[in-house]
Amino acid sequence: MVPLENYVALSGILFALGVYAVLARRNAILVLMGIELMLNAVSLNFAAFASYLDPDRVTGAVFAVFVITVAAAEVGLALAIVIRLFRLRATSNVDEAAELKW
Amino acid sequence: MITEVLWWIFAAGIVASAAGVVFSRSVIHSAIFLIVALAGVGAMYVFLQIEFLALVQFLIYGGAVTVLILLALMLTRTAAGTPRGVSLTGPHWPFALLVGSGLAAVLVGAATATVWPGDQGKPSLLPIGRVGERLFTDFGAAFIVVTAVLLVALVGAIIIARQEGSE
Repeated sequence: MVPLENYVALSGILFALGVYAVLARRNAILVLMGIELMLNAVSLNFAAFASYLDPDRVTGAVFAVFVITVAAAEVGLALAIVIRLFRLRATSNVDEAAELKW
Repeated sequence: MITEVLWWIFAAGIVASAAGVVFSRSVIHSAIFLIVALAGVGAMYVFLQIEFLALVQFLIYGGAVTVLILLALMLTRTAAGTPRGVSLTGPHWPFALLVGSGLAAVLVGAATATVWPGDQGKPSLLPIGRVGERLFTDFGAAFIVVTAVLLVALVGAIIIARQEGSE
């Protein structure tokens, strides 16, 4: 069987790729995709630990469900903000929207 | 044995498509790679034998979230597309690469070096019924709070994205 370390290492790699995307990308939607990768890495980690270490196994799975729910809400809200920004400034570049005001 | 081979194939696919999301030069290609990466994570839940999470992953991420992202990409394209010479990656990318690869090295090193206490060695099946039962009993309060969060966030998203002066 596949050991637990493999899952933890895989989610670590996914998280690091997400961090790179958030830091390096300039398009707001690409930054958001990086955040999605990071959130997925976190819930994969929760699920792996729940499945291997916890005799009860439910808590980690439920936690991952909550992470997915909040991530869905966050994506909806963030994309609405991106669309609003694009309508006002005709750009979705995060460097051009650094003043935090309309 | 066959499980291990399949696991490595899926893990390589996830890492490759996540790298595609992160390094691709086209926004649309990034979104398509994201669908593959998220579906791969769903397959990982199947390997972990948590069926409920696998189904939720395929439905919410494979379906809803990626469609939302593609739609937002469609709505935020300028008529001329991305101007030539304007890179999607900022000039500070070597610093980001340093942070990302350093973080990956630390996380992978820590994961392989640690002996986890209570490791059962292999995952066992978590039936959907057990998850539902606990979700509505022990985690009931959190469940209600998260429904309120989702409702408020989506109403807020509609209000933010609405055209002004068009009601």
